Amino acid sequence: MNEFIEQFLLEARELIEQATSDLLALEHQADDPEKIDGVFRAFHTLKGAAGIVDFEPMGRALHAVESILAGFRSRTNVISPTIINECLACLDQVTRWLDDMEASGEVPSGAGAAADAIVRRISGTAELDAPASPGRDWLARLRDQNPGQFSEARTALRYVPNPDAFFRSEDPLAMIEELPGLISIDLALSDPAQPFDTINPFTCAMEIFVLTNVDTETVIRIVGGASNQIELHALDTKPRADSATTLSSLGRSILEAQVLLLREPRQNGRAGRMAAAGSVSINVLRQAGLEAAAASVADALNDGNAISLIASIERALREKPGGVLSEIVDTSRPSSAAATRVLRVDTTRIDTLVNLTGELTVVKNALGHLATRAQAGLDAKGVAANLRDLQTQLDRLVGEVQRAVLRIRVLPMRQMFQRFPRPVREISASVGKLINFTVEGDDTEADKAIVESLFEPLLHVLRNAIDHGIEDAEERQATGKPSTATIVLRAFRQLDNVIVEIEDDGRGVDVARVREVAAARGLVAADTLARMTDAEIVDLIFVSGFSTAREVTDLSGRGVGMDAVRTVVERLGGRVSIDSRPNVGSVVRLTLPFTVMMTRLMTIESAGQVFGLPLDMVIETAIIPRDRIVSIGGAAAFAWRDKTVPLISLATSLGLGSRVSDAGQARVVITSAGGQLAAIEVERLGERMDVMLKPREGLLGGVKGVTGTTLLGDGRVLIVLDVQELFN
Amino acid sequence: MTVANPKHVLIIDDAALVRAYYRQALERAGYHVDEALNGLEAMEKVLLHSFDLLIVDVNMPQMDGVTFLLTLRDKELPLSAIPALVTSTEAGQQDIAAARAAGANYYVVKPLKQEALTELVGMLCGVAA
Repeated sequence: MNEFIEQFLLEARELIEQATSDLLALEHQADDPEKIDGVFRAFHTLKGAAGIVDFEPMGRALHAVESILAGFRSRTNVISPTIINECLACLDQVTRWLDDMEASGEVPSGAGAAADAIVRRISGTAELDAPASPGRDWLARLRDQNPGQFSEARTALRYVPNPDAFFRSEDPLAMIEELPGLISIDLALSDPAQPFDTINPFTCAMEIFVLTNVDTETVIRIVGGASNQIELHALDTKPRADSATTLSSLGRSILEAQVLLLREPRQNGRAGRMAAAGSVSINVLRQAGLEAAAASVADALNDGNAISLIASIERALREKPGGVLSEIVDTSRPSSAAATRVLRVDTTRIDTLVNLTGELTVVKNALGHLATRAQAGLDAKGVAANLRDLQTQLDRLVGEVQRAVLRIRVLPMRQMFQRFPRPVREISASVGKLINFTVEGDDTEADKAIVESLFEPLLHVLRNAIDHGIEDAEERQATGKPSTATIVLRAFRQLDNVIVEIEDDGRGVDVARVREVAAARGLVAADTLARMTDAEIVDLIFVSGFSTAREVTDLSGRGVGMDAVRTVVERLGGRVSIDSRPNVGSVVRLTLPFTVMMTRLMTIESAGQVFGLPLDMVIETAIIPRDRIVSIGGAAAFAWRDKTVPLISLATSLGLGSRVSDAGQARVVITSAGGQLAAIEVERLGERMDVMLKPREGLLGGVKGVTGTTLLGDGRVLIVLDVQELFN
Repeated sequence: MTVANPKHVLIIDDAALVRAYYRQALERAGYHVDEALNGLEAMEKVLLHSFDLLIVDVNMPQMDGVTFLLTLRDKELPLSAIPALVTSTEAGQQDIAAARAAGANYYVVKPLKQEALTELVGMLCGVAA
């Protein structure tokens, strides 16, 4: 992918998110100047970025929106929800383009129609008569009307006076007549289709088209005050016989700009302006090989006389002809580099790593030194003491390096949380519920993998909350609740976990209804169901194949239930739970590990082999007398704290060949996965350890019941079990 | 075509993409390039180092390009005399006029192709193409 496109994608996505959050904030407070500024700047920068990657349609669409936003800034437009919607729609389109670019690595072709649609809609909303650059039809019309005059002209202008110009004591025509070098003046009605007798004589409903033979700069000086109603166009004229020089057209244009800069009436900064204009003029003339002219400008500059400086530059502009206009050659684009996933990292975190690397080198050198001394015959005791010392240092350093590396992968939740207000707004609008959505603790940090993969599951929980949890306004009023519901999305750190909660003040989970559905679908055996507590019943919503919506709605009934949420969360090594109280509301809580790379394991020995078990799945270890283990069908189970726990034999599930244990009691590890309990019979319990878990791949890729592998201190490979898969 | 070129250019723009794009073009042409994210940072840089040209964006947070130029031109010589090229997405005549009043030597409307930038900077710095 082209390196600029890569950078463009990164930057554009950030800008879109900034703009979106500012736009949504504007919805609540339409006159917050900081937010208006933020949105404007985001659109503006996006437009600039689109230009760099040659994405003209995107630039066009963004320009249209930006013109509207510029209006907010100067307070001439009212920010209506419609405009905010249009801005958001434009951002959606841009996001789609970005996705295309991400996939193809190129600027999408055929984006013109979508861009035009945005421009049309935007200008329709704002009723802007902004003289946008694309509409140059009037120029073509002027040229066709009188090609002779047109070729003489250096500047064409279209002037659309304010409709109330007459009441502002403006006289549009008089102002135009002041222009020097007038070639032609044409008048037209603003709306040629309007019947003549309906025109209000007190409004100025006309457009004025002018051709002059002075340059645009001169025109601006004269029409300055009304310049926002005027569209100017510099016409490409052939170099006049008396003004052609060896200067390129660019050089000429730069010199002309210096003259204007020197003529600037402002008093402040005069010396700086003059010196800057002088040195630029000298540079341009030298670069064009006009040494004599450059010297005369330098003399005038040294005299410190602005008037003679201007004169010397103007003389240079009238020098004899001879040169050729330089052509701008479009060289090939930069070579494309392979696309890489980019992660933005705070530099202090990188510095920490650099420092740690330095410290590691010190220890490495000390080791080398010690090896030399050991070879030279240092006594074993001394070497051992030194070694232990170094080992302690290494231990600390490696630990710190590990933490520092993990810190690099850590991102604030904000990156994900800020994407929610938008969908929440749309979902609540589509079901006609009033919702006050707030975000708390969005600076809580978590591993990149978590931040990046929680969006979909959380969105689902939010959808559920809005669709099922929150009552209609009437129903809320009937139960004495405020008609606007509250949904809070919050994150916080709790020891080694990151907790993400979605709390609503809706009706809570309908326990009776869940019971009914669970029975109807046969999710749980009838007698078990009868014994389940309300809390356990509520947890059933996470069971696969469950959906309580009486009718499938547009939002939640997509076949992706809360079980999908549970799957994602558990894949990240987390748990999901719900705490629901009738008519008070519910809290869906996701408990996630702070980092996904480090896993706490417990080793177990079973069927003569050592395995690892993720510690957060382990609930308890227990010794169960054999006579309490009963066989149910082909499987075994035992009662434990009033619950039936199935017993998994690793020997059988992994096909390791069974070993009948004749001991009078069984050692078991009770685990919880996917809300279900399961016990694993083990021969011995091992140690606990923190490991970097490698995902299963290669030969292990297809093996059920294995999460991944890690290396043990003695070099053996430890297989880490996935209890849930084993159980299924 | 990297020619020894002692000219030192400061790019002042809040968009990383724009800075990277300009920097690549100018470094290929042999310029020393420095960057600033806004007018304030640029002001610190011009006080510390000497520059032959400033490339100034208009819309920037903290201190916009026009304010920066006004401040710069009010300083003592030679600091106030550093030539400035203003690049902006604004094509309106009042924007150009505002930049000029602030002391811009030249104004170009973005987007600016790398080749055009190199040519323009070459002229403003007096470096043979």
